[in-house]
Amino acid sequence: MSKKKKQKKDSENGPPSFGLNEPTGQFADLDDEMKSRAQSKSDAHKMATPLTNNPEDLKFKQMGWKGIDESTPEEEELEDNVAFEKKDIPEDELDMTPMVDVTFLLLIFFMVTASFTLQKSLEQPHTKSDAPSTNVQPDEEIKDDYIQVNIDQNNTFYVTTRDSDETECPSDSEMRARVKDAKLNSSATRLIIKAHVDSYHAKVITAWDTGVVNDMNEIEIQTTDEDF
Amino acid sequence: MTSDTNIELPKRKRNKDDGELDITPMIDVTFLLLAFFVVVSKMDPQAAVELPKASYGESVPDKNCVTLIVVVDKDDETKISIFKGRSMSDDSRIPDGDEETQEEEIGNFVENELAAHPTKQAILIKAAGRVKTGMVEMVKRGVGQSELGKSRKIYVGIEEEQ
Repeated sequence: MSKKKKQKKDSENGPPSFGLNEPTGQFADLDDEMKSRAQSKSDAHKMATPLTNNPEDLKFKQMGWKGIDESTPEEEELEDNVAFEKKDIPEDELDMTPMVDVTFLLLIFFMVTASFTLQKSLEQPHTKSDAPSTNVQPDEEIKDDYIQVNIDQNNTFYVTTRDSDETECPSDSEMRARVKDAKLNSSATRLIIKAHVDSYHAKVITAWDTGVVNDMNEIEIQTTDEDF
Repeated sequence: MTSDTNIELPKRKRNKDDGELDITPMIDVTFLLLAFFVVVSKMDPQAAVELPKASYGESVPDKNCVTLIVVVDKDDETKISIFKGRSMSDDSRIPDGDEETQEEEIGNFVENELAAHPTKQAILIKAAGRVKTGMVEMVKRGVGQSELGKSRKIYVGIEEEQ
């Protein structure tokens, strides 16, 4: 079914329409003539070409005929009474719009899920002996200034320096403040972490980190299974 | 027949005056970004390990390390699982047992991995914060049982915080 035919039918039977390209019906005879001419040429596209300058066409032009719309039959099937301005998509080109939509969705998904948190780690020394130490190292052996952080089985910190007594620090921040204080008041560059085997690994890391933050050059870990 | 200019290459159809944006470069860029994020994002279940927090840490590439994972059961603190390698599957779990056999298994695993992959230069222990210090020490001792492992650095995984 050609557009011309359909529109003609619409104008005859349907409600009055107000589209720009609506036929008025007054050129019905011309329509039929043009159609027969095109059919005789048996070429639909030639039918759709604009009017040429041969005298017969000029005659039609003068009467107000604007030529037949150039559009493919498939689109016409979908057209309603109200004519929308439709852009022609050439058939040999792929419509990329859905693909782009999906690609953007994927892009957003991977952007959101991508985690840029790189693996961070601390270098720690190898354990020297197989068994946890059971004898307390005498303090006299340590010549250098040092800060010692003990972690007991209940995850409580005790900060000791060579010159001061043991201070109990139940929380991480207290321990950090205490070590910072001790560092400021001494020239200690050595941090000894002595942890009970039942203390949390996180506590040891906190103590180690405190040492790193306070510029301790030498950090060592001792573990013990003796209760404090 | 001389080389005539009659033959022309087919020109790309692009109507510049039809007011439509050419989205081809945008699609190109989008695909590049997409490919980038697909490569960058990794879907492995490493978030399952609640690493202890610290302010400073070194960046050690995961793939250059022999990884050992130590996690603790959410409800039962005495239930500890040690995994060989980066995945936390039942196959890679070190079976429960006394410390010596576990240390030995860790030692064998580290030795084999270091021998098989020359690019792996260090040992990375990813231990959850609530694992007991003694367990981490045990894993370290296990690493020390490996001849090759003795000379390599040991890293302990942390989560960086400010």
